[in-house]
Amino acid sequence: MEIRTFEIEPFTKEPYRLLDEEGKPLFDFEPEDFGLSKEFLLRLYKDILLTREIDRMGWILVRQGKAYFYISIGGQETSHVASLYALEKDDLVMPFYRTVPSLHVRGAKVEEIFAQIMGRASDPLKGRQMPGHFGKKDLNIFVLGSPVGLGHPVAMGIAMGIKYKKENKVIISYGGEGSTSEGHFHSAMNFASVFGLPLIIFIVNNQYAISVPRVKQTASETIAIKAKAYGAEGYYIDGNDALITYLVTKKCVNEARLNKRPFLIEAETYRFDPHSSADDDKKYRSREELEMWKRKDGLLRLKKYLEYLGIWNEEKDEFLKREIEEKLNKIVEEVEKIPFPEPRDMFYEVYVKTPWYLEEEYLELKKEMEG
Amino acid sequence: MAKMTIGEALRNALDIKLYEDERVLVFGEDVGKKGGVFTITEGLQDKYGEERVFDTPLDEDGILGMAAGLALYGLRPVAEIQFIDFIWPGFDVLISDIAKERFRSGGQFSVPLVIRSPYGGGVKGGLYHSQSPEAIFAHIPGLKVIIPSNPYDAKGLLISAIEDEDPVIFLEPKKIYFAFKEEVPEEKYTVPIGKAKILKEGKDLTIISYGYIIHECKKAVEELEKEGISCELIDLRTIIPFDGETILNSVAKTGRVMIVVEAPRINSFASELSAFISERAIFYLDAPIVRVTGWDTPFPYILEHLYMPSQKRILRAAKKLLEGGF
Repeated sequence: MEIRTFEIEPFTKEPYRLLDEEGKPLFDFEPEDFGLSKEFLLRLYKDILLTREIDRMGWILVRQGKAYFYISIGGQETSHVASLYALEKDDLVMPFYRTVPSLHVRGAKVEEIFAQIMGRASDPLKGRQMPGHFGKKDLNIFVLGSPVGLGHPVAMGIAMGIKYKKENKVIISYGGEGSTSEGHFHSAMNFASVFGLPLIIFIVNNQYAISVPRVKQTASETIAIKAKAYGAEGYYIDGNDALITYLVTKKCVNEARLNKRPFLIEAETYRFDPHSSADDDKKYRSREELEMWKRKDGLLRLKKYLEYLGIWNEEKDEFLKREIEEKLNKIVEEVEKIPFPEPRDMFYEVYVKTPWYLEEEYLELKKEMEG
Repeated sequence: MAKMTIGEALRNALDIKLYEDERVLVFGEDVGKKGGVFTITEGLQDKYGEERVFDTPLDEDGILGMAAGLALYGLRPVAEIQFIDFIWPGFDVLISDIAKERFRSGGQFSVPLVIRSPYGGGVKGGLYHSQSPEAIFAHIPGLKVIIPSNPYDAKGLLISAIEDEDPVIFLEPKKIYFAFKEEVPEEKYTVPIGKAKILKEGKDLTIISYGYIIHECKKAVEELEKEGISCELIDLRTIIPFDGETILNSVAKTGRVMIVVEAPRINSFASELSAFISERAIFYLDAPIVRVTGWDTPFPYILEHLYMPSQKRILRAAKKLLEGGF
């Protein structure tokens, strides 16, 4: 989508935003001024809402004992969905664990996302990783591991592959602000700048790395400013503003594609729920702080903006929510019927050809199971 | 047929793969103009250009991340780690990403890459340029580990490693990079991964080793032969997946086993081989299995000749074993 009027500078001290907390434009503009159609904004909203509902269902599954673990995205969906919208179909995604419920935007079936959460045989990962890990080769989504920041240097290597093959693609690598404390972040930014690679590192700054707050994570003024040390550009944005998130990411994606250079984006947002189903966030943050951020919710903000534009209302919203709920209930019901992976499956795909000792270990397990 | 050192054979293997497969990229610290500190990649940048043979920043995390990403994206990276002792900053990428990629993705993705690196002692490299950490890699499911001991195997195994669909750690015994020459075909050939080589057949004692130390074993075997003791010498070549069949057949024949490695003894790969033989062939054994290894200390500098298993130590251990002295 063409961006007609949009000039911003890197390394600002305040995050860029177009909408205030009430979803009102901060200055006089129409979405079309930025090349954004009303249909586009409606689609964006519906996908953010679906992401939130997938997240809600994830928590329910843990409470029902149908999943062993869940890792939340609630509160930060806007930054994930709006940035993913900025990519072209052939672009590549290195997710991190909170990105997963939003990956339907890239074509992941909601059924597959729940199969991964519930560890069923139809999970593209064959039930081998904890909920919150997902990837699908045919959708250009790579599979993440659990260690924080690990995706950044690997995404940098993929960006090198794009450059070597002389392709017109970019890769976006997601991470929390905690991932910028890891050496991996430094390695990825340094290599990507030195080699001139089409890499976007998108940092979802949700204020906490599990329980450690942003101020104890880094003394840096902003996360975005870290790009300066690598000779790259860093943009600081309000991740709860879908419009600015989309537009800035689009700008970086376009420039990375054209000029083969990396960008760093810091999207400021907040996670509403505990880090995971195994966490108690009351130990490290106040309810007042949580309520303050809930008022800044990106989903709510976009909803109000759509109402302001006169293209959405409460009635439509309730109807859509009910529709999504019914759809998700049905999907979960279907996924529950799918069996768990076979024991044999554990021994395959460690190597392309299973070595003799793994074949033997499988037979050992089989005998044990047969009693 | 040309005569080549291990170093030349490795360079020749890289040259062949760079020439025939545009997916092959060679990179690491100092591998470009300098050709690596051991000159293994010398001349390759001039021949294939900076796009395919290039220097990276000094950062093993970045080197391994780049290798992982390139392999995921359908290329065939051959990354050099200057000394295997320096790989640790990239270990998260190696253990958490490279080794697990195929399994964790349900077989969707693979990372066919090679990490080449000089390893082992004997060049007065001190405790940070001399380690033998093969057992650490061998403990990580998903990685293959190869250690050649001669020019012919070095070339054939490196070509196999680059063509392999799995990630391979290719450890090069630096003490013998340029120590001797052997006849090596100039054309392309491969040596199979996972297959040991019986360097000498014998009936009284099986000696299993790999890398540089195999040459100390050879000297010890010659001495023993003079005394009428017949040794079977096995060059393991591939640590993972190791050739259990060749080992067990040999043990059944000789009834005595000595395993010789440079690495510290505790949890060395000698320990794994010893356990493997104990579990499967204990009734063929006429004596306990003996491990001759480095000591369980960091690798020393000045006293390295006392640290590394020598012909003398191997010989003494063999005699003790044959006399039932252990």
